[in-house]
Amino acid sequence: MIEVEDLVYEYPTARALKGVSMTVADGTITALVGPNGAGKTTLLRCLAALENPYSGRVKVNGLDTTVAPREIHAGMGYLPDFYGLYNDLTARQCLSYAARSHGIASALTAAAVEKAAGRVGLLDRLESRAGELSRGLRQRLAIGQSIVHEPKVLLLDEPAAGLDPQARRDLSALLIALRDGGMTLVVSSHILAELEDYCSEMIIIENGLIAGGKAIKVRDDARPRYMIELATARSDLKDFLTAKGADVAEADENHALIAFTRNPGARAKLLRELIGAGFDVASFSESSKALEDAYFAQVGR
Amino acid sequence: MNPEFERNIWLELTTRRVLLMIGLLALIFFAAALVGDNWTPSSVASWLYYLIVVAWGSRSAALSVVGEIRDRTWDGQRLSSLGAGTMTWGKLFGSTIYNWFGGAICLALVLVNVVTHLGLATAVLELVYYLAIGIVAQAAALLASLVAVGRGQSHSRFEVFVYQLGGLAAGAAVFAVWSIADPVAAVLSHKQAIDFIVWWGASLDSRAFLLASVVIFAFWTLVGCYREMRLELKMRNGALVWLAFLVFMGIYVAGFDAWLSPDLKNWDPVALRLLLAASAFGVLTYVMVLLEAKDRVHYRWMAGQIAQGYIANALSGLQAWMMSYAAGFAVTVALALWLLRDPQTAATGQPLVLAAVGFVTRDVALFVLMQTLPGKRRGDFAALGVLFALYVLIPAILTGLHATGSLFLFFPQVQTPNWAGAGVAWIEGLAVASLAIGRLALPERPAKALPA
Repeated sequence: MIEVEDLVYEYPTARALKGVSMTVADGTITALVGPNGAGKTTLLRCLAALENPYSGRVKVNGLDTTVAPREIHAGMGYLPDFYGLYNDLTARQCLSYAARSHGIASALTAAAVEKAAGRVGLLDRLESRAGELSRGLRQRLAIGQSIVHEPKVLLLDEPAAGLDPQARRDLSALLIALRDGGMTLVVSSHILAELEDYCSEMIIIENGLIAGGKAIKVRDDARPRYMIELATARSDLKDFLTAKGADVAEADENHALIAFTRNPGARAKLLRELIGAGFDVASFSESSKALEDAYFAQVGR
Repeated sequence: MNPEFERNIWLELTTRRVLLMIGLLALIFFAAALVGDNWTPSSVASWLYYLIVVAWGSRSAALSVVGEIRDRTWDGQRLSSLGAGTMTWGKLFGSTIYNWFGGAICLALVLVNVVTHLGLATAVLELVYYLAIGIVAQAAALLASLVAVGRGQSHSRFEVFVYQLGGLAAGAAVFAVWSIADPVAAVLSHKQAIDFIVWWGASLDSRAFLLASVVIFAFWTLVGCYREMRLELKMRNGALVWLAFLVFMGIYVAGFDAWLSPDLKNWDPVALRLLLAASAFGVLTYVMVLLEAKDRVHYRWMAGQIAQGYIANALSGLQAWMMSYAAGFAVTVALALWLLRDPQTAATGQPLVLAAVGFVTRDVALFVLMQTLPGKRRGDFAALGVLFALYVLIPAILTGLHATGSLFLFFPQVQTPNWAGAGVAWIEGLAVASLAIGRLALPERPAKALPA
């Protein structure tokens, strides 16, 4: 869906992206992570065809951003980190404008508005002015504007910033629903915890480059990640787990992070074999910090 | 309906605002009718039209994009699927719809008065004039704001005022030009309006000529807005439209040779017309090099494309000042060759025009050079300051010191030997251009090392 090839972007006094190459697959939610100033927002703006690269190429759905920017814009949704709304318009008018300006015919606009409002939970606030909405509701309205035309690609820059826990949970559910509906999402953030619930791939940007050079798969529902901790150190832990069919993401003498089948029987068998082989297993649990673990495994703690 | 226009109607034409405008205007006209004397409702309506449509409308137009940037809604609009033309007219006439609403009431009153006293034909001329001055002023303000957005300038109140001034200046120019031939103004001021204008040797009806000129310049201003909007929407502009504008300007300005100073009477009409065209291109070069973003990254990209043999790509990145400079250079060379036909003009005129191009080269390179120096956001002001020193301050000091013989170092002067002035101008021009190119070629700031 998105292909980036040796992308270089320059500001007059500094090079923000220094040769980024990456691919984002159809129907995935990809986390774009990295420290502040790493180049995440610049990369997102290049993906959105809002900035032209100095060199290199960005293709979205097969279209080059420098050749067909308006075609790309028409099939894309983008929520910047600092967005604005038309405070004097009602939520319905905001969504109607977004729909009409994305080419939805007048006759179909009302239905598109209702659908988008339903997805973001704003059906009961459609007649409220945008300026009167709370921060969480404004965020929903902004996302609603980004998806009212049902784009194939949705880019979100720090979408959960400032949201309360319930709103973040709602956002996760919405993004997963959009992905299940066939949308491809790229979500930028430097707060890993907020990406944990819904991202399946992770791209780490650091100093204008992709750390490690490629996307990292952080979630596989068929083979989740498990953390094994030992009470007594054993240097052969990694070799043993590999021999039993586990994919070892990282390991030392005291612990291992593995990808393994979700099948309960297979997991129970592995645990029995570990104990049978004399490993002093203190815990064996699904990792709730897969993304964070993968991030620090790549860039170092 | 154009979605952008419709959104502006939602925001601008609320019932409360519409009633407020109608009520306020009705009160003002009623008051004018009671006061009488020089303040008739129609004369007040005329001034109110200028106030509401030209002055206030320029501000509304200047804010139509800058306001979106300030309110962080511009990226959302750029990501819409609206075409540049749709976006341009939706913004230009949408953001000013309230001004046009008030202006329409005023204009109706003005036209009723003109029809009553001067007839329908004059009223039609006045209608075209009033519409044109409004459109030109608002489009110029929008164009100024779009150019500033392209330069990455901020959107403070002062800067919006500057864009509004651009609109007011364009409106004032239309007002001044039309005043020459306006039959209504002639009646009010008891002065004789100019009936004919000599252009390309032909005597033309002044009203038709001036109104046609205003309409054509309004068209070009709208084209400018459209092209700047295309750039904002990340679409590429080819060179052809600006080249067409240059051709138009060259032909239009060259037609006024009859208006030139008697000092140039020994120049034949062809030389005068070439001089006028070259001067027009020179002025456009200065205006555009001041207005356009002198982006180091863009210039390096162009150089890279040329180095890799992608000449068409590089040409697609040509800026308006570059094309204007090239056109001016070409016409000046043609003029210099033409002047060879007459020994007298060849001896004095030819070195002068070649010196002029040399100094233009120096000045343009100065603008680019200043943009590559630290504190580049003020680079244009610095360049203007240096030019003020070169053309005004230093010559004034030298004149005061009775050292006028060295003025040829700063601007075109008749000099002995004849070629000294042109030689100095070109040495200065090439020196500053070399400095600018050298600064542009410097690598970007070294990147910080990756953490271990």
